[in-house]
Amino acid sequence: MKKYLGPLSKDNPILVQTLGVCSALAVTAQLKPAVVMALSVTVVCACSNLIISLIRNTIPPRIRIIVQLLVVSFFVIVVDQVLQAMLYDVSKILSVFVGLIITNCIIMGRLEAFALSHKPLPSLMDGVMNGLGYGLVLVVVAFFRELLGSGTLWNYPVIPQSWYAAGYLNNGLMILPPMALILIGVIIWIKNGTIKRQL
Amino acid sequence: MKKFTNTYMFVYITVLVTVIAVVLTLVSTGLKPRRDRNKQAEKCQQILRAAGHDIDRSKAVDAFSNLAVPLTDDGTQYRVICADGTNGVAIRLDGKGLWGPIWGYAVLSEDGTTVKGVAFDHKSETPGLGAKITEESFMKSFEGKKLYNKDGKYVSVRVLKPGTSSEIAAENRVDAISGATITSRGVDEMMQKLVISNE
Repeated sequence: MKKYLGPLSKDNPILVQTLGVCSALAVTAQLKPAVVMALSVTVVCACSNLIISLIRNTIPPRIRIIVQLLVVSFFVIVVDQVLQAMLYDVSKILSVFVGLIITNCIIMGRLEAFALSHKPLPSLMDGVMNGLGYGLVLVVVAFFRELLGSGTLWNYPVIPQSWYAAGYLNNGLMILPPMALILIGVIIWIKNGTIKRQL
Repeated sequence: MKKFTNTYMFVYITVLVTVIAVVLTLVSTGLKPRRDRNKQAEKCQQILRAAGHDIDRSKAVDAFSNLAVPLTDDGTQYRVICADGTNGVAIRLDGKGLWGPIWGYAVLSEDGTTVKGVAFDHKSETPGLGAKITEESFMKSFEGKKLYNKDGKYVSVRVLKPGTSSEIAAENRVDAISGATITSRGVDEMMQKLVISNE
């Protein structure tokens, strides 16, 4: 079990491999879309890892990237359609970024590095954990951006009205993407100071 | 490593693509009614919001059928009963923002001279800047504005930077959003097309 926990800390796809940063900047202005995005990536990563691992011995190496892309696109389109049908508001906020999960390097990276050479169950676990590792960073960033940028969490106001009356202002910079980059930088900084990666 | 022939690869990819295409079609067709219902509910909610009604999306379609009747066949104009009990005409608006389309509905008084309310939406304007066109405070600033100037000439409601073009009276203009020049201009251009058609 322990060997699967790497993506949550010392092998985190965003913090260590710096993959999937683009979407991490775009969808973290609020907590709710960040959580939905994290779950979407986890589902896509886990399912495509499982499928690719199941058929890994039948895939001709010369066209393996095409096969991987097909499988990933399939799950991304399914997730996109389900979001549009079930969570319309969130799917509007995520807009193109659900479709862009196809190009998220974390997913292709795990397929190449893990699923092609491992059995289905470990591959499924690897996909889930990498998705969650990505999601963990998204949720942390979104927590601070929504709290400081909009004064809300999950769309509920948490900063008391009396603070605003006393002159407190939401930090408008927080809801713009550059602040997400700075926050991710700070998290990487904290992580590098506390968790040493074994090479 | 196993050798794969060209024929194998060709058949493999053909079968894979076919299977994925069939499953995706089934998923998409199965979810289509729900997706369409969401879109319809959103449109109804937007028109009702322009007319001053604050209605939850889940109840929007029912409320809409009680409060509005279409004036044209193409779904661009409706007669609606506004929140203040008077009749109004809701007109569809379409325009360009900075990053993508912007659209909305404006509700005019029945004589077509006064704006009773507007509701805007956008595809991908910048959060905190252009996206502010969907904020209550911006949309509220259109209420009660006149489409004709003192000489009876059509000027529509202009969206202008505070302090510019002083020949346009306060009842014919609203303040543009600072930092969102292009989006504001998009709203301005959209409003220029605002007339009740004579059908």
